[in-house]
Amino acid sequence: MHLTIDGRVVEAVPGQTVLEAARAAGIYIPALCYHPKTGKAGRCRACVVEVEGLRGLKESCALLVKDGMVVRTDTPKVLQTRRMIVELLLSEGHHNCISCQSNADCELQEMAYHLGIERPSYLVESLPTPKDMSSGGIVRDSDKCIQCGRCVVACQHGVVNQVLSFAYRGSHAQVVCDDDQPMGESTCVQCGECVQVCPVGALVLKQPLENKIRPHETTATKVTCPYCGVGCQIDLHTKDNRYAFAMAHEGQWDRQPNKGMLCVKGRFGLDYIDSPDRLRSPLVRKKGKLEKASWDEALDVVAKGLKAIQEKHGPDAVGFFTSAKVSNEENYALQRFGRALIGTNNIDHCARL
Amino acid sequence: MITKLIEKKIEKIAARYPDRRSALLPAFHLVQRESGGFVGHDHLIAIAKIIGVPVSEAYGVQTYYTMFRREPVGKYHLQVDTNIPAMLAGAEEIVTHLEQALGIQVGQTTPDKKFTLSTVECLASCGTCPVIQVNDRYYESMTKERTDALLASLRRDKMPDMPVETHFHTECNVLLARRGLPNATDIDVYLETGGFQGLERALQMSPAEVIAEVKASNIRGRGGAGFPAGVKWGFLAKDTGKPIYLVCNADEGEPGTFKDRQIMQYDPHLLIEGIVISGYAIEASLGFIYIRGEFAWIANILERALEQARNKGFLGKNILGSGFDFDIVVHLGAGAYVCGEETALIESLEGKRGNPRLKPPFPAVIGLYGSPTIVNNVETLASIPFIVERGAKAFMEFGEANNFGPKIFGISGHVNRPGVYEYPLGTPLATLLDAAGGVVGQLKAVIVGGLSVPILTAQEAEGLVMSYDDCLKKGTMLGSGGIMVLNETASIPKVALRAIRFYAHESCGQCTPCRQGSRTISELLAGIVAGRGTRKDIDLVLKLCDSIKGTTLCPTGEAFAVPIEAMVTKFRSEFESLVS
Ligand SMILES: Cc1cc2nc3c(=O)[nH]c(=O)nc-3n(C[C@H](O)[C@H](O)[C@H](O)COP(=O)(O)O)c2cc1C
Ligand code: SF4
Ligand code: SF4
Ligand code: SF4
Ligand code: SF4
Ligand code: FES
Ligand code: FES
Repeated sequence: MHLTIDGRVVEAVPGQTVLEAARAAGIYIPALCYHPKTGKAGRCRACVVEVEGLRGLKESCALLVKDGMVVRTDTPKVLQTRRMIVELLLSEGHHNCISCQSNADCELQEMAYHLGIERPSYLVESLPTPKDMSSGGIVRDSDKCIQCGRCVVACQHGVVNQVLSFAYRGSHAQVVCDDDQPMGESTCVQCGECVQVCPVGALVLKQPLENKIRPHETTATKVTCPYCGVGCQIDLHTKDNRYAFAMAHEGQWDRQPNKGMLCVKGRFGLDYIDSPDRLRSPLVRKKGKLEKASWDEALDVVAKGLKAIQEKHGPDAVGFFTSAKVSNEENYALQRFGRALIGTNNIDHCARL
Repeated sequence: MITKLIEKKIEKIAARYPDRRSALLPAFHLVQRESGGFVGHDHLIAIAKIIGVPVSEAYGVQTYYTMFRREPVGKYHLQVDTNIPAMLAGAEEIVTHLEQALGIQVGQTTPDKKFTLSTVECLASCGTCPVIQVNDRYYESMTKERTDALLASLRRDKMPDMPVETHFHTECNVLLARRGLPNATDIDVYLETGGFQGLERALQMSPAEVIAEVKASNIRGRGGAGFPAGVKWGFLAKDTGKPIYLVCNADEGEPGTFKDRQIMQYDPHLLIEGIVISGYAIEASLGFIYIRGEFAWIANILERALEQARNKGFLGKNILGSGFDFDIVVHLGAGAYVCGEETALIESLEGKRGNPRLKPPFPAVIGLYGSPTIVNNVETLASIPFIVERGAKAFMEFGEANNFGPKIFGISGHVNRPGVYEYPLGTPLATLLDAAGGVVGQLKAVIVGGLSVPILTAQEAEGLVMSYDDCLKKGTMLGSGGIMVLNETASIPKVALRAIRFYAHESCGQCTPCRQGSRTISELLAGIVAGRGTRKDIDLVLKLCDSIKGTTLCPTGEAFAVPIEAMVTKFRSEFESLVS
């Protein structure tokens, strides 16, 4: 099936929205409330387009493609609407990109950039709201919230933790945790899903914020979460080869194993890789003190120790506990070692937790 | 904690709905009424648990509706409506008078916790403004003297009875036929005066025949949009395997509108008959009356009438031996204008925040509980008995082509006899103004269809005929038929400011242009009215109105952008005289 967008013939599949078809063809349509994970919401109105034969403006995030449809994203009314949306959203909160954690990683800023808007032509006076820093991993800055609702849908229906909701009405509407508790005192489990979908700087991770690292400075490497057996796909963001923060792997939202979601461990628990406490070489206790040793030396100590216990107390006095942080092959080898060499079935694994 | 008794009551309410979540608003009403006038943290958690919704969502719902409170209020909560008809009738002075008499400001409670003073939006009594709602009760046509009498009585802990004189007249004897009859809310009076004959006739017809008759009458929806009712019924999704619901829209929130109330308060059986006939026609399994929360006392009138109708076999199982089963649930809103919009109403009825839904799908395909649903206004449904009993032809004897039938016009503002007047569609505005005792002073402007339609200057209103088509031709809309009359003393910038404050207060907040656009226009107009504005601000208001039109999720954005634009454009010099 084909449609024409701004004079360009574009391929589309039935069931696709105009927005999806446009994006697949590399045509820019801003969309602040739609996210592939949370679906259409019709809230931001940024994505409106004109369609031949249809009256008025249509939300491209909700409009299904039809063969032969003629869409325009560049008419004066569409551009006037986009400008108004950006100006209203900028005037609604307190946006100062210069020191915003999401600078250069913000969908509102991107939209303003496309339209060449530096500052809104009107401002509504309001007092700044203090940031909610109460949570261990997430900072909420309601002055940057554009009410898109992605986080609410994600928390209620994506990860089903049911913490976030819209409260109040009109321009007083805001996202709250439970019955308006600070996030750190709410039922939030810090999965970070809300941060993952937030288009602006209203929900950000505390780790990079505290370390003064912004997303545009980092490099993402796709890794597998070392914590449990699910094996979530993670984009590990690093700066100068050091840990910055972790996000679920972008883009493949419908792909197993984690469909772009993480739990608190994968989201916040990977900073150990740069920890000064991390063991970087074997240590052997000598006269009550741990001292650096070579692998040969350390393995000798282990072998001797295991053998002594086995001889004195029998093989079942030894147990093995292995880890999801190493590969399947290594886990297999350890299990073989336990059963065949030591002769015990006392073998367990952290993924069982 | 919530007592076992209240919990039982909530369970009983929940059983009335196909989905128990619908009991969320009733539960808030109940707990608020029975435990101190507010619902705090502990009670909220208990309610959420009983209904089975997350605390976060219950809180989101509670804080959406203005009638639900998180904090206690005084023993007597005085709520003065200050919308435009009230403003024209002197509500501002009543507010000042109350502030002085009570020694508190709006929003405050007296130290003895006896009185709390609030201002609220239109209470759908615009013909008898100013209105003070005390707890659940309306006190209408308030003057300073009557306010003093009210306060004196409340200080003695007595809710006084204060009679009001209302003005009404009917040329058609269809919708207001029983207005003025003693005991007209009683089913015996209704039956003696020809009631339920339409239903009897309908039950002898097939549902398709009833729909055909309604279609033939060309009746257009009286809720505001004027969409032909028969055509809407024809859009119902067929053979979905799901039940069909009929919802009567009794939200009556459009400022200047107080017509549906006349039917429900004075002739409830007419509405019930209309709903049962319509339910039969569309083969609905259950009907709802979604009535605004401030009308709790009218809801009681309806409940009593429903009980009488059930006892006489007009409602319930096997109605009049026809084999048709149908019942009606009365559901109270809780203070939210946007819940009059049909998809917001459905969300609200489902126990959610009243956020309008994206269309399509339309309710006739996916509506209440995901089922095909028809939403019709009170006045539309109350016209159905006449159409079915007397036939489409008789109905079309009222009015003119494309604009048939009787219509209740509510006239408020600067007229001598504000009130409700039932006239055929197509009646000249001048005739209606005469019926309402004529304009007080010199006519300056008129808003003919509720606040959401463009204002007309006196000159533009000359020769206007009150039909959907003529209003459109003259650049406005018939809307709900709520006519607000403004004389030379009215300041249009002040009217515009009050209007946009209403929309900013009522915006559901979902979409950017309405949420933030209404707030921005409100700030700009406030500056202009206060003498702080500039010429540029006037242009900005116009630019915003123009940009907002056609961009919002539901019609509310247009409902303020168009009228504000009209006020500023048509009375620009008045705005300019206020700015530097
Ligand atoms: C913001 C808004 C408020 C509305 N309020 C009401 C109302 O209070 N009562 C009503 O009947 N219709 C109201 N409507 C219109 C309804 O959406 C709907 O069109 C109507 O109930 C259909 O009934 P009808 O076809 O019989 O007129 C409102 C619409 C909007 C956009
Ligand atoms: S949220 Fe976006 S637009 Fe707002 S200050 Fe941050 S970067 Fe700028
Ligand atoms: S971190 Fe997870 S649980 Fe907490 S609010 Fe965000 S989405 Fe909900
Ligand atoms: S916090 Fe972010 S995701 Fe949530 S509504 Fe605000 S802008 Fe949207
Ligand atoms: S136009 Fe206003 S009321 Fe309607 S959905 Fe948008 S914000 Fe809500
Ligand atoms: S992306 Fe379509 S309305 Fe927000
Ligand atoms: S009831 Fe007073 S303004 Fe409508």
